[in-house]
Parts: sequence; C-alpha cells; structure tokens
Amino acid sequence: MSSDLYREQLLDHYHNPDHFGVLDDADVDIEMDNPTCGDMIHLTARLDSTGRIAEVMFEGQGCVISMASASMFTEHVKGKTLEEVAAMGLAEIQEMMGGVKLSMGRVKCALLPLNAMKEGLKESGDL
Amino acid sequence: MPLDVAAIRQEFPIFERKINGKRLVFLDSAASSQKPRAVIGAMMHTYMHGYANVHRGLYTLAEEATAAYEEARAKIARFINAADPAEIVNVRNATEGLNLVAYSWGEAHIQAGDRIVITELEHHANLVPWQQLALRKGAELAYIPVDEAGELDLNALPPLLADGRTKIVACSVMSNVLSALPPVTQVAEIAHDAGALVVMDGAQAVPHQPVDVQALGADFLAFSGHKMCGPGVGVLWGRYDLLDAMPPFLYGGDMIRTVKHDYAKWNEVPYKFEAGTPAIAEVIGLGAAVDFLNAIGMEAIHAHEQEIVNYALARLAELPMVHVLGSGKGERGELRERSGVVSFWMDNIHPHDIATILDDEGICIRAGHHCAQPLHECLNLPASARASFYIYNDRDDVDALIEALHKVVKILGK
Repeated sequence: MSSDLYREQLLDHYHNPDHFGVLDDADVDIEMDNPTCGDMIHLTARLDSTGRIAEVMFEGQGCVISMASASMFTEHVKGKTLEEVAAMGLAEIQEMMGGVKLSMGRVKCALLPLNAMKEGLKESGDL
Repeated sequence: MPLDVAAIRQEFPIFERKINGKRLVFLDSAASSQKPRAVIGAMMHTYMHGYANVHRGLYTLAEEATAAYEEARAKIARFINAADPAEIVNVRNATEGLNLVAYSWGEAHIQAGDRIVITELEHHANLVPWQQLALRKGAELAYIPVDEAGELDLNALPPLLADGRTKIVACSVMSNVLSALPPVTQVAEIAHDAGALVVMDGAQAVPHQPVDVQALGADFLAFSGHKMCGPGVGVLWGRYDLLDAMPPFLYGGDMIRTVKHDYAKWNEVPYKFEAGTPAIAEVIGLGAAVDFLNAIGMEAIHAHEQEIVNYALARLAELPMVHVLGSGKGERGELRERSGVVSFWMDNIHPHDIATILDDEGICIRAGHHCAQPLHECLNLPASARASFYIYNDRDDVDALIEALHKVVKILGK
C-alpha cells in the first residue's frame, strides 16, 4: 500500500526537515533536479580532515519522498567515507527511510539526494 | 441523448478488476484510453482467423487480411471526413506522424532563414520535431504565446507571418494540459493567407469530438489510435497533393514500385509512407474502435465530457487549496467550452504525492508535466496533476476524486 509512504516519520521530515539550508565554505555544492517531476535539491557538504562526510545541508522543493529522503540523508551520511557513499544504492536509501518499498515511479524521487551527493563529489574532484 | 455510462463500462473488461481493493476509477485517458471488447475482439479475430501479410500474397488469407486492413483505412478516413482513404497514412503514433511531416516535407522545403511557428501549449510531440528541424536547417522557431486563461494570443500570429519567411504553422487542436480548444480554423486561415503550411496535432481532439479535416482547413493532422479506444497505432492524414509530392520518410519494402541496383521508384500514396510490414491487426483494431465510437456518437461523447468536466470544476471549487489550470470562464463569466481535461495544482503539495495517495483509492491520474515542459515553464509551475475524462467516466468518478483529494489534504496539508 502506498499510504505506507505517508507514515508519520516521513511526514515529520517533510514538514520539518533536518539541516535545511546552505553550508558556508562547502566542499560539495550542487543543484540537481528531476526534470520529469520538478523536484529540485541544492545540497552542500563539508568533509573532515580524514575525508569523511562531516556535515550536510540541503534546500529545495519537491514531493514528500524526495524531501523526506533528503532530510534523513543529511544525518545518515554523516561520518561515512567517500567509498561508503559511492557504494550506497536504493536498498540503503529504502532502509534509511524506515524500510519503505518504493514503486518504480517514485525511486527517482528517493534517490535525488544520493545522486546529488555523488555528482557533487565528482564535480569537486573528491570522488 | 446522455451516455449510458454503466452500459459502456460493461464493454471494457478492465473495469472488472480492483486496484488496491478499490473500484478502478480511470482518469488518465488523455495519456491512453482503455480498450473495449470490440477492439480486443477484432484484433484477436485477425490473429485467430484472418492473419497474413498485406499487399503481397496471392492466396486467400493474404487477400482477406489486405481487404480488412484497407477497410480499416477507409473507416478511419470517413471518421475524420478525409476526401480519400489514400490520404490516411498508418504510423506508430501521432508523434511518428508529426515526425514524418517534419522529416519529409520539412527537410525538402525548410531552408536557413525560414521560420516555423508553433504555440506555447504544444505537447512535446508537436514541438521537438519542429525545434530540431529548425536547428538542423538554421531556421527560426517562434511561439504563439498562451495567456493564464489558456487562450492563444492570436494577435501574435500575423506579425510572425508578415515577412513571408514562415513556412510552417503547427498547432494542437486541443491542449492536453489546459483543456483549451484553440481557434485552429482561424489559425489555419491566417497561416494559409500567408502561404504557410498548417500542421495540426489531433491526438487529444480526434478521440473526444467530431473532427472534419476539410472543415478544419489543415494540411496535415496527426492522431493516435491508443487514445481513442484503439491499440498502439497512429494516423497521419495529409492532403493528397502534398503527400504525393513529398519524398519518402522511411525506405524499404512495400513503399517501392521498382528497385534496381542503383535506383528505386516509389509506390503511390499512402504506401510510399508505409515502409515494411505494418501493424496489421492493430490497424484493423483501430477500425473497430472507430465503429465503436461512431455507435456512441462523437457529438454525444463531446457533450458528455463537457458535462463531466463542468461538474468536476464545480466540485473542485469546494477545495480552496486546489487551483485549476486555464480559466473555466470567458470574458463575460460564461462557461467556456473545454475538453474533458482538468489539470490542477494544490498549495504546498507535490503532484506526485497527490497521485500516489489517489492510487490507494483506485484512482488513476497523471502527475508531472504531461509532455508539455515549456507550457509549465510559462505557467511557472514545475508540474501539475491531471484528471482526464472519457466515455466510461461519470459523476461517481468525480465524487471519488474529490473525496480522495480531501484525504490528500488531511494527510499532507499543513
């Protein structure tokens, strides 16, 4: 049932996202959109001296799935190595979102923050 | 005569199934319609009793298949009042029909410095082929603007024609987003006076209202079978003299008269444009769809959709956070003639979330840009939700939609 997607936890993140905003002096600074649906994310991240993800912030607009995923992602990737981020995929994002099963049409929404992070790390030369 | 929707629904096997335990409320016919038994049966009959390749074999079965295929072409021709069945070219879909014109007529006639005029409300199918033709040729692509009410600014057209550089004017007969019915006959008159060719996208119009290509004044009209109860085929209608003078689009079997080592001569219209084995059973299925729609009556279908869409607009007004795209009212407040499409957006709620929650209720709507990105850009919207109505929808479906939208507000409204 897709109403599963709209459980309290995800709606909380959607209405009151964590780490909403833009980081100063970011190592990663990227905007990405899903042109088919108009979801847009601006993701900024700082790395620590060992090259792990230290801090992530995002701003943007989109559906519950993309925005809740982004909000949870900012906490989830903290402390991860870049190799760990590179290895992340849909399974881990679904797990992160409380074990939701996403339909084919919504997978792209949930993956937007992860794809933005990977692309941003590539652009900054870190990945 | 109002439509007997309950009886019509009986003709569509798909309505026997449940979606998420709920009655199927199908409100996405503008994307593709459901299929009645008559169409499914005609195709099944072809495969089980009358299938062979067309225009080739000298045996009974091949002659029967060819006759059925050509009979379907004649039905389609009568359906849009084409002067001659030879003006009907069977293609994959409306998109391919429009590409055929862009590649065949366009490649032969468009030169650097020429202009192609389209409108801001076009589906990508009647936009990207012209945009790319213009880019290939160094021609200019100009847009007739659309205002917030979904009306074309026709005053913008004559200045675009004044210098004689405009060779093609392409326009949709019915918008797939705004529900607007642009004044296409006027567009055709103005364009023809300036010597431009007129190409119309009939994908939304032909399934929903009577269309008479001779009255429209178009030179070409493309439409899709799958949006009008038929299978996945499309049709390009073109004026015979134009088609006859055009070079082929695709080359191969069936489109030739003679092939020598170093040259070939083309078959006559329309076969010149039907290279290779066509979708035989599907074309026959489209002929059955035409019979099915004719039996209901295109005037009656149009009237039915007007009634449903006006009811939907009235009920949507109950939800203050719902905003309908395109105005429902004219300058004097009169109800405007609309097609059976209602696109809308909701305050602070993404169309994807609307569609997903509606799906729980067995309701199918479209969410996104509906293949009209430039139009959404004009409207300053990233995406919208769209409910579209057809012969199997009634007021109960609208009520189900409204009830589900209340649920959307309950779950996602702040």
